[in-house]
Amino acid sequence: MTALRIGKGVQILLLAALYVFLYGPIIYITYVSFQANSVWPFPPEFTAKHYISLWNEENYHSGFVNSLAIGIGTGVIASVLATMAAVAILKYRVRRSVYIAGLFLMPLFIAHILIGVSSLMFNKMLLGLPGNIFSAILANATYATAFAFLVVVAQLARYDWRLDEAAMVFGATPGTTFREVTFPLIWPAILGAFIVSFLLAFNNLEISFYNLGATPTLPTLAWGSLRHGVSEELYALAALINVAVFIFLGVMYVLLRTGVVRLDYKD
Amino acid sequence: MTDTVLKLDNISKNFGPIKAADDINIEVGQTEFFALLGPSGSGKTTMLRMIAGLEKPDTGTISISGRDVTNEPPYRRGIGMVFQDFLLFPHKTVAENIMFPLKMQGASEKDKRENLQWVSNLVHLEGLEERYPHQLSGGQKQRVALARGLVSRPSLLLLDEPLANLDRELRKEMEVEIRRFQIELAIPFVYVTHNQEEAMTMSDRMAIMRDGKMEQVGEKFSLYHDPASQFVASFLGSPNAFEGVVSSVEEGIAQINWFGHSIRARAHDGLQPGDRAVCYVKSEKISMLESGGALTGVLRDIIFKGQYADYLVSLGDGHEITVSGAPMTGLKKGAPMHLDWDPGKADAFRAQGGAQ
Repeated sequence: MTALRIGKGVQILLLAALYVFLYGPIIYITYVSFQANSVWPFPPEFTAKHYISLWNEENYHSGFVNSLAIGIGTGVIASVLATMAAVAILKYRVRRSVYIAGLFLMPLFIAHILIGVSSLMFNKMLLGLPGNIFSAILANATYATAFAFLVVVAQLARYDWRLDEAAMVFGATPGTTFREVTFPLIWPAILGAFIVSFLLAFNNLEISFYNLGATPTLPTLAWGSLRHGVSEELYALAALINVAVFIFLGVMYVLLRTGVVRLDYKD
Repeated sequence: MTDTVLKLDNISKNFGPIKAADDINIEVGQTEFFALLGPSGSGKTTMLRMIAGLEKPDTGTISISGRDVTNEPPYRRGIGMVFQDFLLFPHKTVAENIMFPLKMQGASEKDKRENLQWVSNLVHLEGLEERYPHQLSGGQKQRVALARGLVSRPSLLLLDEPLANLDRELRKEMEVEIRRFQIELAIPFVYVTHNQEEAMTMSDRMAIMRDGKMEQVGEKFSLYHDPASQFVASFLGSPNAFEGVVSSVEEGIAQINWFGHSIRARAHDGLQPGDRAVCYVKSEKISMLESGGALTGVLRDIIFKGQYADYLVSLGDGHEITVSGAPMTGLKKGAPMHLDWDPGKADAFRAQGGAQ
């Protein structure tokens, strides 16, 4: 077999280029967030003033709280619905499961701005509901459930449902079976679905914007401030969010390495 | 049966066009070891799953200890089960796995500990209680699965090919152990397997299944020595088969013309002269004579198996017969062989698609 052969030097170069491509913007924005001149931050001149002005901007506080609420609310709804759907399709092998799965995935193919506009119209014009944080959570959950479903189904495809049968034979009702056996084994998949849908909703602009009106979220604030040029506290905000993500991943990594948390029991 | 624990009446179950169970009737008594034996796809696992409540029969009733459980879910049947792939809960320790049925019954902490102690001693699992399933060997997992099945002293234990994933040595050991547990607990075991040696070793009675039908049910000796159907005759042991036309039937013994040889066996299926028949003679029921005999040939090969040997005899016209017997040192390849058997220990059945 004549495989495509490339030299070791080229391999390293390609790999380095890939990482620069992936992480360059993130590192750059973190660097800029500490620079006095954010347009051309060379030579470096370190300052914390962007962070201070971010802290002093009250709007960002309520925006952060609102984004967090939308993220958590959407994450909970989406991961619960997605888990129920995945269990129905994989465990109970409901009829026409392929079509049902397709219906769950459909929102993936609809532009977010259309989901935003149409849920606003549906809620306000048809049902007479006001746009608020709850309708924003529900609207975000429509497509977040689709993503969460993908995550859960991919993981649960490997789950051995005969374990549930074993539990039932030994006296566990369906509810107890889920609590004692299924959930302790599949929670990483559900957590994964929660994280994905949380992040999607936390970062969402279009859907939240149309359902919230003047109520700020971090993405709507960022977008709003862009109209007056890139305001400098945005660099600080972006850097903080990245740090939060890296801390989260770091904690997960340590928990997994030390065996405090186990994702897989297969031997 | 006076002490019937498990009773299946007219159980049928179809999966689409496939008949997994076709009008099955079984009774299993209090102290019985009952084996369901059959090739894969014969419906024996479906039968077990219906008894456990994991599958619902289309028609018929299942009762356990006199109670109709046909429409009861698995968790209200009060039975134990041992699964082929063990199906231990991977996130629970050995002790938690074993005590699971007790926990489901809401047993007290003291009760759980006492029964754990008792069953760990019974199946020799002392010292492994705090391990997780992935830290156990195949044999240890098997013992945990058995312990979990027995710990709540169920009215009935179902075993689904529990030894299929173990190596030969371990299987032999566990066969004896499992039988010991059954005698000690004095509860019925229903044991599904495709391995006739396992079924023979452990069971009191066996049922032979094929294509969802019960071919024959009875004591293991009578099934082996007095098969009632062609399938049972061909399935159990390692029989030689002779197919030919019946020339006469006298006092229940049919004479069959097989490539010019005269073969004699008990006549089944109402065989008449002129019918096509197939006759089965188990290899250990053929004796090697000094002279004469129904069939003569030469010894082509000896397959030495330790406690016994298989002698492969060529009949000259290309046919070959296997005879099992004690290993003998005097016989050499090429030696002339004279074979015969008691016609009362061979069985002839109507050949499939043969003349009526």
